Amino acid sequence: MNYPVWFVPTLGGGLLIALVAIVHVFVSHFAVGGGLYLVLTERKALREENRALMAFVRTHTRFFMLLTMVFGGLTGVAIWFVISLINPAATSLLIHTFVFGWATEWVFFLVEIVALFVYFYTFGRMDDRTHQVIGWIYFGAAWISLFLITGIIDFMLTPGQWISNHDFWSGFFNPTFWPSVFFRSFLSFMLAGCYGFLTATFLAEETLRQRMIRYSGIWALASLLLSLPAGWWYLATLPTPAARLVHGASPTIARASTVGAFSLALLAGLLITLILLRPQARTRVLMVMVMIAAMGYLGAFEWTREAARRPFVINGVMYSNGLLASEAPRIDQDGFLKNARWVQNREVTDANRLEAGRELFLHQCFACHTIGGFNNDIIARTRNMSFNALRNYLATIHGKRYFMPPFVGTDAELQALAAYIAGGLNHKPLIEAKGAGGDQGKELFNDNCTACHGLDQIKPDLKGWPRAKIRAALDKLSALNPDMPDYTGTAADKDAIADYLAQQTGGAP
Amino acid sequence: MNPATLIPAADTLTAPWGWFQSLLLLTFPLHLLAMNALLGTVLTALAAHLLPGAPYRRLSHELAKALPFLVAFTVNLGVAPLLFLNVLYGHLFYTSTILMGLFWLAVIPLVIIAYYLLYLYDFKFRQLGNGALCILLLVLAILVTVGFIFSNNMTMMIAPAGWGRWFATPGGTLLNLSDPTLLPRYLHMMIGALAVGGLWAALYASIALKDDPETATAGVRLGMGIFSWLSLLELVEGGWFLATLPPEVQRLFMGGNATATALFVAGLLLALATLVAGFRQRVGLAAGLTVMLLYVMAFMRDTVRTGSLAPYFSLDKVPVTTQWSPLVLFLVTLGLGLAVIAWMLVKVAHCPKEVRE
Repeated sequence: MNYPVWFVPTLGGGLLIALVAIVHVFVSHFAVGGGLYLVLTERKALREENRALMAFVRTHTRFFMLLTMVFGGLTGVAIWFVISLINPAATSLLIHTFVFGWATEWVFFLVEIVALFVYFYTFGRMDDRTHQVIGWIYFGAAWISLFLITGIIDFMLTPGQWISNHDFWSGFFNPTFWPSVFFRSFLSFMLAGCYGFLTATFLAEETLRQRMIRYSGIWALASLLLSLPAGWWYLATLPTPAARLVHGASPTIARASTVGAFSLALLAGLLITLILLRPQARTRVLMVMVMIAAMGYLGAFEWTREAARRPFVINGVMYSNGLLASEAPRIDQDGFLKNARWVQNREVTDANRLEAGRELFLHQCFACHTIGGFNNDIIARTRNMSFNALRNYLATIHGKRYFMPPFVGTDAELQALAAYIAGGLNHKPLIEAKGAGGDQGKELFNDNCTACHGLDQIKPDLKGWPRAKIRAALDKLSALNPDMPDYTGTAADKDAIADYLAQQTGGAP
Repeated sequence: MNPATLIPAADTLTAPWGWFQSLLLLTFPLHLLAMNALLGTVLTALAAHLLPGAPYRRLSHELAKALPFLVAFTVNLGVAPLLFLNVLYGHLFYTSTILMGLFWLAVIPLVIIAYYLLYLYDFKFRQLGNGALCILLLVLAILVTVGFIFSNNMTMMIAPAGWGRWFATPGGTLLNLSDPTLLPRYLHMMIGALAVGGLWAALYASIALKDDPETATAGVRLGMGIFSWLSLLELVEGGWFLATLPPEVQRLFMGGNATATALFVAGLLLALATLVAGFRQRVGLAAGLTVMLLYVMAFMRDTVRTGSLAPYFSLDKVPVTTQWSPLVLFLVTLGLGLAVIAWMLVKVAHCPKEVRE
C-alpha cells in the first residue's frame, strides 16, 4: 500500500520471482561448489602430472567462467531487480536491515571476479602453487558469498530474536542459518559434480571421459548424500507454523515435495548408474536427465523454503502483500484505503464499490494471485464462491488457511473486495441478504462451504451417504478432515444443508 | 493529485546518512569509469574496424580481449552504488522502477546478450571477419539502450510530479519522456561515456600494447581523437543540459549554493583542462584530470537530485538507528578484499606472457 503495484493481470509476480530465482540458484550454487571442484581437480592433475586432465580443468574453467560470471552474475542482479519490482516493501526492509551484509557480499563478489579472471587467463603461465592459491581465493570468496546471502535469505524464513531486538547479528545468525549453510554448501558441491559431468561428456578421449564422468559422479553422489542429514536438520529447526506447512498443510509445498522426492530419487539413481556401470557410449541423454533432476531437487527446495514462510514474506513481520503485521490492527480500525498511498478511492461507497474493491485486490491479493493467469488464478480459485461465501471467507481467511494473510481493513472494505471478486471478476450477483430466494440449504452451502470445495468436488465422497449420516457429519466436520473447520451454524441450518446435499447426491432420506 | 501523497515512507537507516552518501559518491564514479571504458572501447574497436591498415586490425583485436573484463567490472561496480542508492532513496527508486517495470527488467537480458556477444567477439575474433563489425554495432546499440533505460529511471525517481500516470497505466510501461531533462541528461551521460571510453582505449593502448609501438600509436591517436572531439561536443551539450534543469536547481549552481557553485566552476575548469590535454595527446594527464572531473560530475549530479527532491524529501528527515558493528565488518572486509586483489594483480604482473611447455 506504500508502493504502486506492477500490474500485469495474467503474469503474477510470485511466478516471476520463482523462475528467476530457480534459474539463478542453479548457476550460483555451481559458482560456489564449482570453485572447489576446479581447484581440487587441478591439484589432482598436478599430482598425477596428467596433461590431459589439466586441459580438461582449463576447458571446464572457461565454461565455468562463461556460465557463472555472465549468467550467474546477471541473474543475481535480476533477482534484486525483480523483488524490488514485485515486493518493494520487503526489499526495502531487507536492504535497510542488512545493507552492510550486502555491501560485504559485494566485496567478495569483486574478489571472486578478479580471482576467476586471473585463474582462467593465467592457466599454464603462472607457477602452479600461486595458481592453486588463486583458485582457493576464488572458492573462499564464493563460499563466503553463499554464507552471507544465506543469513539474509533465512532471516526471511526465521527472523528469530531480530523481531524483538532489531539487531543485525540476531537477524543474520537466525535459527535456520547454520543448517541452511550446510545444506546449501552440499548442494553446491553436488551441482559442481553434475556440471563437471556435463563438460566431461564432451571429452573426446575415451578413457579420460569415463574417468571424469565417474569422478564427477562420485562428487555429486557424495554431496547429495551429505545434503540429506543437513536438509533433515533444516526441517527440524523450522518453527511450528512453517513445519506444519512443510508437512502437508500447504498444497503448493505438497506439490513441490513430490517433485523434489522424484528428482532426488532420479538423480541418485542416475548417478549410481553412471558410477557403477561406466557407460561406454556418449551419455548426452543421461547428462540432460541429471541436470533436470538436479534442478528439480534444488527448485523444490527453494520453492518449499519460500512457501514455508507464508503468509509472510518476512516471517511474523511482513505479510506477502507487503503489509506489516504490526500495522494490521490499526488499519483494521482506520481503514486500508485511508492509509494507502497508491489508491484513488479513499472510502467505499455504493457507487465506487467495485472500483475500490479492485484497488484492494491490487494491494492485498495481487502479490500472489493472477487474474486469469497461469499461477494462482483468482478467478479459478473463487469460481464456486458466491458473494456471501466470499465475505465469510475473507473475514476468516487466515484462520481457515494459515498460509493466506488476513484481510486488513474495515468491514465495508472487505465487502468491496468480495464484491469485486464475485461481481467484477466472476460476474456473480451481489445478493447480500440470506434466503432472498431459492433453496436455503443451497445458499448456506454456497456461503459456508464453497470457499474450500464446490458441490462437484464432494459429490464422489458423499456417494451413497444417507441423509442422516450427512447431518451427523455436519456436527463434527473436523472428524472428517482435521483441516476442516467445524460448522458453527444452527441445527436448523445444518438440517437445511443436509437436505440439500442428500438431494444433490442422491442419498436416502 | 498531490504527488507528495504518493511518496512511500522511507525505512530506518542503520547508520547516519552521511555514511551512505559518502559510499554512494565514492563508488558511483568507479561504476561510471568502467561503464565509460566499456562503451568507449566498443566505439574505438568499431572505428578501428573501419580504418584501413594492419595496426588498426591488431588494435581492434587487442581491444576485443579487454571488453569482457569491462562488462564484468561495470556490473560489479554498479552493484555497490545501486545498493547505497537503495538505502538512501529506495522508496523513490522502487516507485519509479515499478512504473517502468517492463523496461527495467529488460536490462538483464539485454546485458546478458551484450556480454555473450562480447565474449564471442573476443574468443572468435579471427573467424568473425566482417561479422565482428555487426557484433560491435549490436552491442553498442544494446548498451546505449540500457543507458536510456537507466536515465529514465534516474530522472523519474526524482520527479514525483509525473507518478500519477500509474493509475491509468499500471503495467510497467511508463517512461519519463515528457521530462525536459531526460534527453539532455541521457546524451550527457552517453557522449561523456564514449569520450572517456576513447581516452581509456588510448590509455590501454599506450600501456598494455607498448611492445607493439605501431598498434599502440594507432590506439592512442584514435582513442584521443574520439576523446577530444566528443569532449568538445559534451561541453556544448552540457550547456543544454544545464538550461533544461528546473530553475530552482539551476540557481544552486549559479551562486544559490556555495558548494554547488564551486562544483560547477571546478567542473568547468577541469573540463577545459581535459580538452587541452586531449587535443595535445597527453594521455596520462587527460586521464588524471578525467577521473577528477568524473567525481565532480557525480557530486553535481547528486546536487541535482537533492535539489529536485527538495520539495518532497530530505535525507535529514529519515529516521536513524545506528548499529556500528556491521559497518566495521564491511570496512574491514573492503580493506582485506582490496589487499587480496592487489596481491593477485601483482602476481599477474609478474606472470610470464608465454604459456609454459
